[in-house]
Amino acid sequence: MRPSAGRVHLRGSEITGMGAAALVKKGVARTHQIVRPFRNLTVLENVQLAVHYGRHPVARVAQAQAQAMNALKLVGLDAKAGQLASALSLGEQKRLEVARALATGPDLLLLDEICGGLTAFETSSMLDLLHSIREGGTTIMYVEHDMKAIMTVCDRITVLNFGQKLAEGKPDEIQNDPSVIEAYLGKTTVGGVPRA
Amino acid sequence: MRLPSSPGEWLKVVLPWLLLAALLLLPLGGLSPNIMKLLFITAVWTTTSVAWNLLGGMAGQVSFGFAVFYGLGAYTTGLLMHAGWSPYLSFLAGGVVGAAASFLIGLPTFRLRGPYFVIATIGVTEAVRVVMNNLDITGGSSGYRILETRPFNPLEHYYTAIGAVTVAVAVSTIITRSRFGLALRAIKQDQDAAADIGVNPYSTKLKVHAVAAALTAIAGGIYARRAAFFYPGDVFAFQTGISILLMPVIGGIGTVWGAVLGGVIFGFVEEELVANFPNVHLLLYGSLLILIILFEPDGLVGLLRRLARLVRSGRDREHPGSKNSEQVLWGSSRAEGR
Repeated sequence: MRPSAGRVHLRGSEITGMGAAALVKKGVARTHQIVRPFRNLTVLENVQLAVHYGRHPVARVAQAQAQAMNALKLVGLDAKAGQLASALSLGEQKRLEVARALATGPDLLLLDEICGGLTAFETSSMLDLLHSIREGGTTIMYVEHDMKAIMTVCDRITVLNFGQKLAEGKPDEIQNDPSVIEAYLGKTTVGGVPRA
Repeated sequence: MRLPSSPGEWLKVVLPWLLLAALLLLPLGGLSPNIMKLLFITAVWTTTSVAWNLLGGMAGQVSFGFAVFYGLGAYTTGLLMHAGWSPYLSFLAGGVVGAAASFLIGLPTFRLRGPYFVIATIGVTEAVRVVMNNLDITGGSSGYRILETRPFNPLEHYYTAIGAVTVAVAVSTIITRSRFGLALRAIKQDQDAAADIGVNPYSTKLKVHAVAAALTAIAGGIYARRAAFFYPGDVFAFQTGISILLMPVIGGIGTVWGAVLGGVIFGFVEEELVANFPNVHLLLYGSLLILIILFEPDGLVGLLRRLARLVRSGRDREHPGSKNSEQVLWGSSRAEGR
């Protein structure tokens, strides 16, 4: 999709308006806010396809399946490899999307509200997973409303409010930024009661 | 290579070879010319059914335009045989022309999705039929005649058609088991999600369209050689495109053997339908299409699978804890495309 203004660059080269498949070859992968697994494919096939067509395409089925199993182990779905994707719970489908994106071999992983709709336990385990992905050397760009999730995993935060950038910085800087506090909690009145 | 581990798996491996052996030996029993013709036309229809299933069944791109490739195969074969080419080289050349035409048609139409793509393929079929009706070099609407100096040999025609359907099934099976087949199934389910993991839906659809078009054109050439006379209102007809689409829908869309089953059934009943209901057979096709989509979208293969599951679950109730219960839980979709 082309932006209405501005340009997008990745490691110095312009990628503005580039198609999704071409972006994968450049090392950018994404997940969806509303999960989009291939419901009639097995969990393994979902990820295997990403290995076949990812950044470093693997032609041999056995090799692709082995790599796909590694990605499934990372997200904790290896025991469900043979099940249909439609049989997974929402939390598992979100993990499948992460595994699928990782299997393309990205340098930059775009996550769209990956914790949306998850239980507290699922959110916590997802955040652990994001930590381990980050430690593996993959950059994560993460869009999220859940402040706790953001503060837990992010090194650098940009706050947007109605399309305008409010603030940018480290988590503790953002936490203390008056414009962010105002946008999220409202203005403080004389009586100390927040005003929306 | 992993060897089959259960009787069911062995049957899946052995059955196609037994079927092929039976088809090769069948004419040696001395069949009547009418039966030979029926088997020939059934094999030709089945080839087109299996070919269409690659694009429509596996990739989910419902095209009404396969009559274009069928007709181009017929005319290419006719023209080249007239120029002194061997019939077999002419069939292959027809396949190449069909594949080339598929790119010309696919380049603009695969930019469209869903009903817009369907409408575009109908438009292309009608446009090509009108052009061919007015093209002098092919005899226009009067049709084209293939004159062969060799004596008519029904066995040769039969074995040529069986060869074509065997190649079509083999190509489809190979594609189904490959990463390309996996990509087609992903595109059918969600082409944007497929693009997000590196699959290029546009070029993948163009490639599978070309394979399907080449097989359909070869079938058209094989039909034309035996028919010896054909005209645009026959091979390029919208009705031909409907027939090619209807077969895999009857048998079971998205599965190789569903397309084969649909082709065989259609081949056997089509001539009877046209002969007995010349004015309403299209209405019957349309009604059948609607009924299948409404009540059994997975076609006869889906129906058979459901029956098999019922039988297995009944057996499991009698013998709880048997290993079949796992297979029942996984359902038919797991085997989709196989």
